[in-house]
Amino acid sequence: MLRTLAHRALQAIIVLIGVVLLIFVMLRIVPGNPVETMMGEHANPETIARMTKEMGLDQPLLTQFFQYISSAVRGDFGTSYSLGKPVSQLIGNAFVNTVILAVFAALFAWIFGIACGIISAVKKNRLTDRIFMGVSLLGISLPVFMSAMFLQYIFAFKLHWLPISGTESWTGFILPAIALGWNSAGQVAQMTRTTLLETLQEDYIDTAKAKGRGPTGVLLRHALRNAMLPVLTMMTIQFSGLLSGAVITETVFSINGVGRLMVQAISGRDIPLLQATALLATAVVIFGNLLADSLYSVLDPRIRKEG
Amino acid sequence: MKKFISLFIVLALLLCSAAALADDPEPGLLRTAILYDIRTMDVAKTTDDYLIPMNVFDRLFETRPAKNSSDVVKSLVTDFSVSEDGLTYSFTLREGIVFSNGSALTASDVQYTFERLLKIADQNTEIPLEVVGGEAVMKKEADTLAGFKVTDDTHFSITLTAPNAGFPAELSSPAMSIVDAETTSKAAAFGTEPADTIGSGPYIVTEWISGDHYTLVYNEKYWGTAPSVKKLIVKTIPDANTQNSMFLSGELDIIDLKNQDVAIVESTYKNNPDVQMVNTPNVGLTYLLMNENQKYLKDPKVRKAIGMAINVDEIIQGIFRGNAQKENGIIPTGVWAHSDDMKGFTYDLEGAKALLKEAGYAEGEVTFELSMNSTKASDNVKLVYSYISSQLKKIGITANIVSYEDSAWANKRNSGEMESFVASWGMDYNDPANIMYTFFGSAENTKMRSLNYPDASIIARVSAARAIVDDAQREAEYKALDKKLIEEDAAWIPMYTELHLWGLGKRVASFTPQWAGFTDFYAADVTLK
Repeated sequence: MLRTLAHRALQAIIVLIGVVLLIFVMLRIVPGNPVETMMGEHANPETIARMTKEMGLDQPLLTQFFQYISSAVRGDFGTSYSLGKPVSQLIGNAFVNTVILAVFAALFAWIFGIACGIISAVKKNRLTDRIFMGVSLLGISLPVFMSAMFLQYIFAFKLHWLPISGTESWTGFILPAIALGWNSAGQVAQMTRTTLLETLQEDYIDTAKAKGRGPTGVLLRHALRNAMLPVLTMMTIQFSGLLSGAVITETVFSINGVGRLMVQAISGRDIPLLQATALLATAVVIFGNLLADSLYSVLDPRIRKEG
Repeated sequence: MKKFISLFIVLALLLCSAAALADDPEPGLLRTAILYDIRTMDVAKTTDDYLIPMNVFDRLFETRPAKNSSDVVKSLVTDFSVSEDGLTYSFTLREGIVFSNGSALTASDVQYTFERLLKIADQNTEIPLEVVGGEAVMKKEADTLAGFKVTDDTHFSITLTAPNAGFPAELSSPAMSIVDAETTSKAAAFGTEPADTIGSGPYIVTEWISGDHYTLVYNEKYWGTAPSVKKLIVKTIPDANTQNSMFLSGELDIIDLKNQDVAIVESTYKNNPDVQMVNTPNVGLTYLLMNENQKYLKDPKVRKAIGMAINVDEIIQGIFRGNAQKENGIIPTGVWAHSDDMKGFTYDLEGAKALLKEAGYAEGEVTFELSMNSTKASDNVKLVYSYISSQLKKIGITANIVSYEDSAWANKRNSGEMESFVASWGMDYNDPANIMYTFFGSAENTKMRSLNYPDASIIARVSAARAIVDDAQREAEYKALDKKLIEEDAAWIPMYTELHLWGLGKRVASFTPQWAGFTDFYAADVTLK
């Protein structure tokens, strides 16, 4: 199994290097001069030429790439063109918020998703099942900005229970986490229900019942444990997606996270910031998938043996 | 299972009851929001982010609102005189001014401020470049400005390369905020750290959390009258709807309604007894630019026909619901050389068609690209684009709207090859040169900013108008130039200026928006209840 994991880790690193190169080249070949964007309409051609030179953008592409790589491995991703601050500092601050939001959203999605899935499976085709599956479907189908605005209106604007935006206290993360996690919760609930219902049909469940296990014991110890394998994989991938930045949620709730930073970098053609945020998002997704693979191997003995 | 469902419900209730009811805001606190975070606090690197410079630094003069216009008033200077040739200005600084760190503000700090703008050579170099030796400092051929003489701590003189009667007005621009030479020269990255952002104005920056908020507090060492607002928190709220909800629920005290949808302003703010509305003309204008190198647009008859096909009143009523005013010339309402006699273009579709026919163009022959910056154009401006395109279709002109993202836009615009676009200009200070000289004062400016306006004699006159010392003569010249450029040459199609609307919450007693065309404000102009 260790050999498989090492092989996959190596693959992940190669993909990451490829992505770095791709992002680097793409940002430099697309039309438009980032210096002109940064300087605005008041800059004269001499100033633009001087700034282009100072920022090293007049150097050959290969030289720029090696300079970037040598700085990046030392943790120096340059200075943001649009915000004038070190990129590592900007990303560090934003990533903290993104991690908190992702953890809150994942907790919400997993607790409510799994709970809804179990209840729906147990109460199959009854009113409770229909209500929970309806709410899950709503979460999956409703655009995030709609659920965000709906939650903001009810719980912040009308009831004044939670802040409308901002992250001054942990309560500021509750509404965005629900808005963001609702979609994942819906997916988790539906998958938990489906896999649990399938598992409950297996012979070994009847065996467990015949041995005198109570319904809760059969459900939690035998059925759920096996039903959770695909759900767990999905949850890991969901979490890496949440960590790579949630643009709409961060914008609506004014959370200074990686997603918002990335949008800012795109609109300002801020190459250092865009490179770093794209790299971070890619790394999180690649290593999230690697983690999902590893977890699956650990939890499923069949895969472990194959490895 | 019942236990499980109960636990589920309890968890949901717990989440909902994690109520964080906002405490009453502290006395003296003003809370507002901006859509995008500032890039820097340094005016040497921005022409947009002026709220901190305006509130933390002082200038030699200030532009203050006056009835239907503004006055340039002395701020850090108590006295000044101009030499007979109009070239040398002698200034006396106010005694006893100190920066917020306690060090004295002297004439050397003023000199440092001028030279620093040139040495950084990034933004706002135009004004110090007028001083003798400015070019040499900017090109690193000299270390100090030859035209800047410091006599003692409170006396200095500035000699210009050419007379400029609007020089005191220029010095009131936020661009000319006076910095502390000692602190600024030692700062590793001035403009990014609150600790280095030392001014002599009414406020001190205490924190700036990128992408989140920044805070200003009252500067106890400030020389002027103590303001009602003792603390200002400016939050970065990138979603206009969220700003709206925050204001209406009392989380913001003042809201810039420029960012809100007109329909929301009409339905939610106007006639709302809990909201006090303040509006001021955004001194400046929005206009249509047409490239005079373009096959069809180089013909003044085509440009005039375009002007005649646009019903500005319809734009004002239909798109802005009356929250804008018509502008007929280049010099906007509220600027001292503005002329009420300007007629602009009278809406006349048949007249426009006849003019095109007279110019020899068949219906459908005239076609050009109407370029739009999709990143920055507001929803209302996008509607203006659609309106212009549909109006031109009525007279047989095809104006194809093409969207560009910001950087592609900047590239094409700076090349002078853009065929046509809608642009806006907000006045920085009350002098007609701020708009006339910027757009028509030199061949280089004219290429990019006025899309290749070709008349060199007019460009020379615009440049020379800055040097006219006699106010009456200068005013007459600017009015004549405005008439020539618009009514004869149709160099621009002037359209409208939006009214700048603000909503004041229950904690605010009054607010006087600043005069100039940019959106930032002086916190000292807000009085809390």
